[in-house]
Amino acid sequence: MSEYWILATILLPIIGGILTPLLPFKNRKTMAWYLEAIMLTTTAIVWKLLLNGTTEVFHIIHFVEDLSISFKIDGMSMVFAGLVSLLWPLAVLYSFEYMEHEERERIFFMFYSTTYGITLGIAFASDLLSMYFFYELLTLSTVPLVLHTLKREAVLASRKYLYYSIGGAAFAMIGLVFVIIYGVTCEFQMGGVLNTALIGDKKNLLLWVYLLAFLGFGVKAAIWPMSSWLPDAGVAPTPVTALLHAVAVVKAGVFAMIRLTYYSFGTSFLQGTWVQNVVMGFAMFTILYGCSMALKETHIKRRLAWSTVSNLSYVIFGISMMTPLGLMGALCHLVCHAVMKINAFFCAGAFMQQTGKSHIYEMDGLGKKMPVVFGCFTISALGLMGVPGLAGFISKWNLANAAVESMHVQAYFGVICLLASALLTALYMMNAVVRAFFPKRDFDYSSLSGVTDPGWKMCLPLLVFSASIVALGLFSGLLVEFFRDVAGIY
Amino acid sequence: MSYLIYGLIFLPMAGALLSYMLGRKYKKYRDYFVSGLAVLEFVLAAVLLFQYVAGAEKTYMTRLSDICGMGFSFTVDGFRAVYVCIAAFMWMVTSLFSMEYFEHYRNRNRYYLFQLITLGATEAIFLSADLYTTFVFFEAMSFASYVWVAQDERRESLRAAAIYLAVAVTGGLVMLMGLFLLYHQAGTLEIGALYEACRGKNVYAAAACLLFGFGAKAGVFPLHIWLPKAHPVAPAPASALLSGILTKTGIFGVLVISCKIFPHDGIWETVILAFGVATMVIGAVLALFSIDFKRTLACSSVSQIGFIMIGIGMQGLLGESNMFAVRGTFLHMVNHSLFKLVLFLVAGVIYRNLHKLNLNEIRGFGRKKPLLAFIYLMGALGIGGMPLFSGYVSKTLLHESIVEYAERLREAPASAVFFSAGQMKVIEWVFLISGGLTVAYMTKLFIAVFVEKNKDPALQEAYDAQKKYMTPLSGGVLLAASLLLPGMTMDKLANLGQGFMGLAGAGESVYWFSFDHLKGSLISIAIGALLYLVLGRGWMMRQVNAEEKEIACAEGNLQKLQAGKNSADGKRALQEGKVGIVSAFLKLRSGGTVYVDRWPKFLDLCKISGAVGKLLIKVGGVAAGLLDTFVDTWVVILRKTVYRDYSKMGELKEGNGFTYVLGSIANFVCRFMNRTFWRRHPRKTDYRHKLALEYWRIRETNYLITRSLSYGLILFSIGLCATLIYLLIGAVR
Repeated sequence: MSEYWILATILLPIIGGILTPLLPFKNRKTMAWYLEAIMLTTTAIVWKLLLNGTTEVFHIIHFVEDLSISFKIDGMSMVFAGLVSLLWPLAVLYSFEYMEHEERERIFFMFYSTTYGITLGIAFASDLLSMYFFYELLTLSTVPLVLHTLKREAVLASRKYLYYSIGGAAFAMIGLVFVIIYGVTCEFQMGGVLNTALIGDKKNLLLWVYLLAFLGFGVKAAIWPMSSWLPDAGVAPTPVTALLHAVAVVKAGVFAMIRLTYYSFGTSFLQGTWVQNVVMGFAMFTILYGCSMALKETHIKRRLAWSTVSNLSYVIFGISMMTPLGLMGALCHLVCHAVMKINAFFCAGAFMQQTGKSHIYEMDGLGKKMPVVFGCFTISALGLMGVPGLAGFISKWNLANAAVESMHVQAYFGVICLLASALLTALYMMNAVVRAFFPKRDFDYSSLSGVTDPGWKMCLPLLVFSASIVALGLFSGLLVEFFRDVAGIY
Repeated sequence: MSYLIYGLIFLPMAGALLSYMLGRKYKKYRDYFVSGLAVLEFVLAAVLLFQYVAGAEKTYMTRLSDICGMGFSFTVDGFRAVYVCIAAFMWMVTSLFSMEYFEHYRNRNRYYLFQLITLGATEAIFLSADLYTTFVFFEAMSFASYVWVAQDERRESLRAAAIYLAVAVTGGLVMLMGLFLLYHQAGTLEIGALYEACRGKNVYAAAACLLFGFGAKAGVFPLHIWLPKAHPVAPAPASALLSGILTKTGIFGVLVISCKIFPHDGIWETVILAFGVATMVIGAVLALFSIDFKRTLACSSVSQIGFIMIGIGMQGLLGESNMFAVRGTFLHMVNHSLFKLVLFLVAGVIYRNLHKLNLNEIRGFGRKKPLLAFIYLMGALGIGGMPLFSGYVSKTLLHESIVEYAERLREAPASAVFFSAGQMKVIEWVFLISGGLTVAYMTKLFIAVFVEKNKDPALQEAYDAQKKYMTPLSGGVLLAASLLLPGMTMDKLANLGQGFMGLAGAGESVYWFSFDHLKGSLISIAIGALLYLVLGRGWMMRQVNAEEKEIACAEGNLQKLQAGKNSADGKRALQEGKVGIVSAFLKLRSGGTVYVDRWPKFLDLCKISGAVGKLLIKVGGVAAGLLDTFVDTWVVILRKTVYRDYSKMGELKEGNGFTYVLGSIANFVCRFMNRTFWRRHPRKTDYRHKLALEYWRIRETNYLITRSLSYGLILFSIGLCATLIYLLIGAVR
């Protein structure tokens, strides 16, 4: 029975979303409740599944032989689906207020809701082929969201997004084909599915293929040199940037990388090869690169987007250690960063919507006028810097610990990269915070008259996220324990 | 006891939030609440100390697991109990003093919020039983105290705060790196277990990282740069705490490394000693050069931290019999905390009344204010190491430890680690000279503020008339604090603190006033007097005799400023410029001397590191910008070449390529001819157009012809003819 529930979680938001522009809603409020109901129902089903779901594989469509679209719930799916399902309803709540003054609202919510189902599809996919299917769908369903404003830069950005994503997926496809040919099955299994008897002396070929596929998925994870679509995609409305380009889409890329590395190729096959060094090098470089670019940027959303680039590479760095501890660190940062970054973006969105400004240098003195928004922003900023007691520290600690434990010489440099990037993060995040709370002594507050915190629909998600950043930082025991299980550390 | 510990740490933190909420409505009650909380904290700390002493001085440990990743653990021993007490005492005094100091300040609520958070964090650092806990609260303390420095929101404050934050964050991160390395190698971070866990392992790299982190907070050279910037701009109570207790948290960390990881490790201790000497000298020299009251005190803090570092180094070098060094280190820590508390609060009194700190401007403020002078003297004499004052005890102990080590080296030169006996002798003299410098800069401040008359008689009159320069409350609090200083109870304190540094047993009694011991102190004081007379009154002061230059300079400034007076900055600068002119005239009228800052500008480490940082950012930015376009470049190249659209861009308006080229040539020829042969009757034909028209006409004609019936018939007959010819030829063959 639970198999059908999986299907329900995926189809409900998709169908519900498609119906949004068709149904005759009396007013905005009805539509809001309709959408929120769909989101909450989906989330409820997801959590029901996570708490007592089966690990059975459920095939819905058979192609040839053993190729099929099929679903399964394992540890990784639980992490990703759990994360996404908690964030989506809150993001939709936030969007109601944010989108109030935007046009084509219904189309927006149609795609926004559809993307939820597709993301869950990625999370629950049980083999590489199914995941690939939903991965492509994700690109297609998010392009209209980037395009939403229909301004020139939105068109350009969405085009870029499309080129990059489709191009990346093509590379990933190569990996998929090779796994099907050289693997026992293409289903995900911890430790990999490659058939050593078949490989023989073609090991080097497979390593190349792995690199291609890794970088292919890396496009969504915004690894350098495929990172510049992400800041450009920031022209989309803030809920999109916050949820999709800080969490769902980019984390889908990272998720796919984990599936590829740990569940398809297998770490024992990859560990200690040249390809590990290359991949780790890319991650380490991107960490510093993203930070440096963020420091240059003065547009708040673009700055946060570059920060996302850097933080995604923390996760990739964890993956590239190819040890269970590394995976655990990666999962930790995957979750912690999601909460912190969505919070930061929502704060930025609130700032932009309430004041009509969008640059860091225009933030002077706003801390007093919008205490909730900037309080939450500060928590996010401190968390991203890795201040102890907040979520970011836990994940950084786990990542760096894993790196030191892995005894890999490169990993030591990785730790230095992590710390250097924390310093840069401090520079680019605190810059904004300091401006907001410490304007120059003779700052004229009257120029900000009328600026206030937004309404409860926008503030509630902020407060929830901020509280969870602190909670994750202080009481991370259970969660980390769960990640250990997922990563297979006993 | 664990409730007591958690109370000490979390009570102020909870109180911070309460005070913030309270302060939004009732400012007055908030002030009382904060002061009450600080007093309560001190009572708790005192109870802790008392319980520790009463409970047969047994170490006590408690753990808070399942929080913040690895969990926290706290412990109480003699050293910690004393320092918890001192921290609480300092907070109590500054909080009471703050009520008056902050009377007319904005954003007080924010200040108190972060002050209390820092209090909790600082207590937690001193109580922490593992380095993880230390680190967590260390970061909390660093970030919370940032707000103190930025409190004024002036341009300089924000700059200084940025430097403070940069040093703190960098230090914190390097420290974190050290923790990773240490944890990996030792497998534990518990302070008590570190020695066993690190034995036989090379943990120098980890320890160096930790030293960087702790040293940054302690203000060890070359990371002292934040101290002279941050202190003058922070509110006085905050400076007192920054300098008196926050630097000590750094020293606490250094002590943990030295005494718990490398007890009696020659190489490590030599490094510490070297840093200590450098810090001590540089701080003292900077202090003598400074002409700002609080800046002098800040530099003095750097110097005194150097003294303490020397003590830490010596106790390792001396090995087992390091009683002098251990007790000297601990006592000097305690003493310095209290000295700086008193001195900075004196600075606070001056600043609150005058809003100035420049020695030339505050000159003569302290005349006819015996209470203030007395309080200042208590601190100054103590820090100068005058016999009968507590500073004398600790400095003598430190001095004796150097002498002892030098002597031991002379007997057994082979046991030297790096410094030989002769070099230790040099260090001893450097020590004495630094002590002399301490005396010199303290005298400089005293004479400037309390003895000399201001160069402006009117101002001096105003200063003299000022009787209500502090409320009885602050006066009483300050007096009480200062009276703690000439302590002869040092032995007991030292007994409590020495266990932490691995020394057991009561110390042998020392004849403090034997000539041997007095000698060091007297030499220092003599050197100090000499330095003050020669440098302080000679080179660092200047006769005002270049009157013309001064006026010209001032007038030039005025003109420059008037140009930019429309902007807000310009206006403020204009006012300052006017003040400058007025004071220049005053100097002219009265003659005499002024204090000048002789420190070369290019030696400002902040500027150097700032420039390097800016350069790095620029270079990184350019590199990143290039890399940013990496993939885009490929996409653009592909779009422009292989995947080019069928664009209409290159298409001609009329004609085809042939007519275009031919027409262009014809046009060229025509232009040439027009200029030469046809000058009389130039032709204005555009051949490109003409040829295009021609082409079009031909094409149209062709079109007509090719579709006509007769054209078809012609083709048909041509074909027929060709076939016939072919057949004919075939037949002929």
